[in-house]
Amino acid sequence: MTAYLAHYLVMVGIYAILAVSLNLLIGYSGIFSLAHAAIYGIGAYASALAALKLGLGFWGGLVVAAGVGAFASALVAIPSLRVAGDYYVVASFGLQVVVLAVFMNWTDLTNGHAGLPGIPRPNVFGWVIDEPFEYVILSVAFAALTYAVCWRLTNSAFGRVLQAIRDDEIAAQAMGKNVMQVKIVVACISSALGAMAGSLYAHYITYINPSSFALHESIFIASLVILGGSERLAGPIVGAFVLLAIPEALKFLAIPDTVAAPLRQVIYGALLVAFMLLRPEGLLGRARAQVRDGR
Amino acid sequence: MLGLPLALAVAGAIVAAAGSGLLIDRFIYQPLERRGALRTTLFIASLGLLILIENLLAIVFKPDPLRLEVGRLADAVRIGPVYLTWLHLVSVATAAFAYLGLMAFLKYSRWGQAMRAVSSSPEMARTVGIDLRRVHLLTYAVGSAISAPAGILLAMDVGADPYRGTTYVLLASVAVIMGGIGSIPGALLGALFLALLENLGVWKIASEWQSTISFGAFLIFIVLRPRGIFGRKIQSAEI
Amino acid sequence: MAAEAATQRAAGSTPILAVRGLARAFGGIRAVDECTFDVRPGLITGLIGPNGAGKTTVFNLITGFLKADRGSILLRGTELLGLPPHEVERRGVVRTFQHLRLWSKMTVLENVLLGCATPMGESVFSLFLRTAAVRAEDTRARERAMEVLEFFGLAGRRHQLAEDLAYPEQKLLSMARIFATDAPVMLLDEPASGLDGESLRRIVPLVRRLVAHGKTVLLIEHNMELIAELSDVVVFLHQGRVLAAGAPAAITRDPALTEIYFGV
Repeated sequence: MTAYLAHYLVMVGIYAILAVSLNLLIGYSGIFSLAHAAIYGIGAYASALAALKLGLGFWGGLVVAAGVGAFASALVAIPSLRVAGDYYVVASFGLQVVVLAVFMNWTDLTNGHAGLPGIPRPNVFGWVIDEPFEYVILSVAFAALTYAVCWRLTNSAFGRVLQAIRDDEIAAQAMGKNVMQVKIVVACISSALGAMAGSLYAHYITYINPSSFALHESIFIASLVILGGSERLAGPIVGAFVLLAIPEALKFLAIPDTVAAPLRQVIYGALLVAFMLLRPEGLLGRARAQVRDGR
Repeated sequence: MLGLPLALAVAGAIVAAAGSGLLIDRFIYQPLERRGALRTTLFIASLGLLILIENLLAIVFKPDPLRLEVGRLADAVRIGPVYLTWLHLVSVATAAFAYLGLMAFLKYSRWGQAMRAVSSSPEMARTVGIDLRRVHLLTYAVGSAISAPAGILLAMDVGADPYRGTTYVLLASVAVIMGGIGSIPGALLGALFLALLENLGVWKIASEWQSTISFGAFLIFIVLRPRGIFGRKIQSAEI
Repeated sequence: MAAEAATQRAAGSTPILAVRGLARAFGGIRAVDECTFDVRPGLITGLIGPNGAGKTTVFNLITGFLKADRGSILLRGTELLGLPPHEVERRGVVRTFQHLRLWSKMTVLENVLLGCATPMGESVFSLFLRTAAVRAEDTRARERAMEVLEFFGLAGRRHQLAEDLAYPEQKLLSMARIFATDAPVMLLDEPASGLDGESLRRIVPLVRRLVAHGKTVLLIEHNMELIAELSDVVVFLHQGRVLAAGAPAAITRDPALTEIYFGV
């Protein structure tokens, strides 16, 4: 029982990092990205390869993951953000698909479908994290760190600029704010954090393969943000707690495995549609009339 | 599954697609728009529908790829030095028919003209007495109906499974943007260009990298010509 | 009188903003055509003309929201043409908008704070590594914002959301936030439109106070009386060209120009 609960908490921690970092884009900058799973995967693969091929430790792997993730994001953000915001969605969709293709086909590097087994457990200052409970501490610690970083970012002059850009971008430009630069910076930070989650995941499960980082995963992470509430920093965390409990609840209903996986997705999809119709601000958001369009 | 003749199955598919589009618009998109929902909200609802429908299909019809009986269509046809199958010819003919049919519909039929009017200016269209809701529904029905033959042809050519749709949605979106949003000839050209690019790429580079080629082309396009081939100049916001 | 004396005073000084041969076409229509005029420091220059004369287009061109086809915009000798809007602001030109464009879901104080200089708080690097300095900067910015709010009489509303203010106060806020930037040149797009009675009467002394604080003002207005009373110099724009520039009395009473303006 305890190991079971520990696994749930570790995953909640990892998904909290993913969702809170994605919310920097969706909720605070008004940029909808469908590539967060790709970034998650980039972090996982970068960290795993750093450990397996370069012998880098835990911290080294994290740094590599964050760096590669931020770089990939900047590569896409710089051309796409220059044009209307809608293009970014398509560009992120494209990035997601391409990154997955790289994972599956660059077999020399990533081993393709077979994935990478044998990723070492993290060694944090000499403490090897082996027990599930120890991993819960690690996961929750990093989730708290992510939250703290995002909190500092959004409760500051920088956060004010983000909110202004979201509210009226033109006025922000007229007041001297370099909107493009701000958006790119946010995209890079969001991706660095998301990639970090990938690193944590890789060293936890010790085996990764491309199927964990596909488009449906991006949509899932976005659901955590939207259903939890994108207005508040804690919204995505609530989303993680709730949505990750659903597959566990399903297990109690003795549904055959072949049906369980798509059924889970059906529930997520139905929840998204239902929430958009009935409570678009999410669980933690404040109900208010959405009158304005044009974003 | 039902053993119906092909013609009936095709008609059924088109009706099912159009019907789905209609239902989705009537019960989800239009109510959201009436509530003044943000574009992001609509987009998220569409994402929800995407994974809902894909996975429902997977549960009902099993997720294994389906290959439609092609029969004589697989026979080869020789045109000059090139070998094609009848299926290829039928695909091209279907695309041409769909394109010309749609253009004719938009230009000459009353409903088509109404659609163009709404696209150009909803307020003006309303003053002239056009029912915006009906036009909206019709647009979704027509758009969905046209995608049905594509799905059928794909099922005959490479097979179909419930999850394959998203790849094609991405390709279609890229083609539309490259051709210019709002231009149907542009969409056609964009699609042809993209298909050419992918297949030329396959010739030189391994086939798994097809999506990378498309995506690369997309990025280059939006840097050099964001409005696409025939798109209207991207309007700077009303200042 | 006072305006004419000011104009004469200014006649010798170099313009702070020199617009030369500015041109911009949309399709076949020349919205702005060979537009040339000066804005002299410490004066209030009024830009008038019939509807569609291109006044807001000129504002958009100066502030970089539109790209000019030809011409030059010199701010104290620095070329502004081709710069993006945020760079134009950094060089010293700010503007209001006809539709205000306030950050409606943010408070009055926050709207003004965004105009105050907070480069460290806006830099991610400094935000995480120089927390003490950032805090000091934030304190200074808040003090400055309060000064600006007092100047505009909005201090009592500082925690209200911008969208909850009455229209006249929203107009004040749109001027307050650009005033906070310390930019020397302020472009006001129809500061009096939509106002009447008491709030309208307060516009003239308010703009004069801005100038007394060392600002240079270029404003667009439709209210002829207001322009005549407020401006030191008037520039008359028609079909994108400058037809006349000079003392307000001369221009507002010119029969030929009046005819063009009212289309009679």
